[in-house]
Order: sequence, then C-alpha cells, then structure tokens
Amino acid sequence: MQNKLSFHQSSASLEIIGLPDYSNNENKDQISIISQWKLTIVDKPLIEGKIEHLGPIMDAFYIYSNLLIKNEIPIYNSKLIDIKADNLNVHNIVLKSSKPNVKPLVLKIGNSLLSDTINCFDQLNESPKVRIKKTDIPTKIPKKLRFGLNKKLKFFNFFIPPFIAICSLILFSSFFIYFYSPFENIEKKELINSD
Amino acid sequence: MTIWKLRNNNPLRKSYVTNNIKLNEFDALIRITVEMSKYLYPYIREILKSKEDIEENSVIWNDFNKRFIELIKERFNIESMKVKKLLNQAENDEIIIKSLLILSFCISNHGYQKLKNFLYDF
Repeated sequence: MQNKLSFHQSSASLEIIGLPDYSNNENKDQISIISQWKLTIVDKPLIEGKIEHLGPIMDAFYIYSNLLIKNEIPIYNSKLIDIKADNLNVHNIVLKSSKPNVKPLVLKIGNSLLSDTINCFDQLNESPKVRIKKTDIPTKIPKKLRFGLNKKLKFFNFFIPPFIAICSLILFSSFFIYFYSPFENIEKKELINSD
Repeated sequence: MTIWKLRNNNPLRKSYVTNNIKLNEFDALIRITVEMSKYLYPYIREILKSKEDIEENSVIWNDFNKRFIELIKERFNIESMKVKKLLNQAENDEIIIKSLLILSFCISNHGYQKLKNFLYDF
C-alpha cells in the first residue's frame, strides 16, 4: 500500500505518492521512495512525471522566480523545462517529454498561479513526512555575506526601511479589499435595474 | 511603540530620522512582514490575478493602486525622485508587482529566511 500526500495552495496542488524506507526504520506514513508525483493547476493540463523530473522542475521554478524578482532577465532553459516571461504578468512554461515523438506541453500561467505553485513546492520542501533530495534553494546566508554582515548592516539601514515601508503600504492597501465586495455591487446594480 | 519609531528611519518619509536599525529590529520587521503576508495571501493573490486579466477584472487592481498612491502621498516626501517614481503610474506597476511577488513567495514556514535572503541578494 502506497502513501499519498497532498500539498495545496489556492489553485495549485501537488500530490506525492510513494513508500517509506523501512530499511531506515521509518514510520509507515513517511515517504522516502517517491514513485509518482502530480502537479495540478486549475484550468491547466495535469503535470506528472518520474521522481527524477521533480527535482529539476522545482529547481526551475525556484531559479526562475528568483530571476523574476531580482530585476534580471527571467529566462530559464534546461533539457526538461523552459520558462520565460511573456510580460510582467504572464509566464510561458514549456515541459519537454523525455520520450521520443511526444510534443512538448506548453502552459501559460500568471503571477497568482506561479506563487501558488512555488508555495506548494515550499510545503513539500518543508514537510517532515517526505524525504527528497532537497532543492538547493538559498535558505542559508552565504558565508561571504555572513562575514560581511556588519558592513552590510549599514547598507541595510539605508535600504531596508524603504523596502519595509513599500511592503507595509502594500499590505495596508490590501486591507482595502476587505471593504470591497463585487457581489454587493452587482446586486445593487441589479436592484437599480429592476426598479 | 518601537515599530512606530522604526518607521521614521525610512528616508522616503516626510519626517525622516537617521537612526541605525539594529539587527534584532531588522529581524523583527522581517518577521512582521512575513506574518502579515501569510495572513493577507488570499488578497495579495487576488490583486496579482486582477492585474493579469486587467481588461476583465481591473477593479481590484485599480482600487489597490489608488489606495497605495494615496498612502504614499499622505506619508512620503513627494519631492524626492524615488517617491516620484513610485507615484508615476507608468513606472510603479513593476515595483508593485515585484513587491507583491516577493511577499507571496515568503508565506511558508521558512518564509522569514526566504525574505531575508531576498533582501541580502538585492
């Protein structure tokens, strides 16, 4: 009997199917030997593949998202997957099959679906129940930066406050949506029309 | 109160004080930002989505952008070139979208570390 674990984030969900490594005395609900994975994005074709494809696809998404926010050219190309930005809001993904004569799968996703997908991968990376070769995302401060932390702090004193301020204004502005209900407006318009 | 005072370290604000932010204050600001992003993720997502299909659903993006600009005019020094750039609607879309994306990528349990790394890499 195989174990199945799902990670959901809004319109994306990632399903991992596999077995625990009993030779390592693992719990029966653990997954260390992944046999199958499926990435479902609402209104898009199902993405699934072998375990050796999962790592490179996760890497591609992480590297691309890093390029996207660091003002670098957001293009990622590999044997398995290409991602490039059509514009600031739409991302073009080409998944290439390892089987011959199979056409590549082309997907266009927006920023909302991109962040849902990244968050599903984050959940998988952070799950204690799944043991995979962790994606090499920059979760630790590089040594070079750690040594130069004090010098960097002076720079941060200048840079961090504006960044935090912009973020807090964005977060503060987001609250504004609490007070907006498109359905109410539609109902009001309907009432006016019916009058 | 401390957070309130920390706001004044921002050189873009109308009332700006040159104090040095300590490492623990920097950490605290990042933690607050990450926790707020987790809480507001559904709204951040809707704003991003609204911008994606702006012809069909521009209301959320326009309301958000309008409020963002109102807050900047209210609190920031509008004579500064950087603030002018933030107020310029032709240029500010990219800054806003990238900031929203950074926030939306940092809502996991390790979001604090991710946001910190994004900032170190800037």
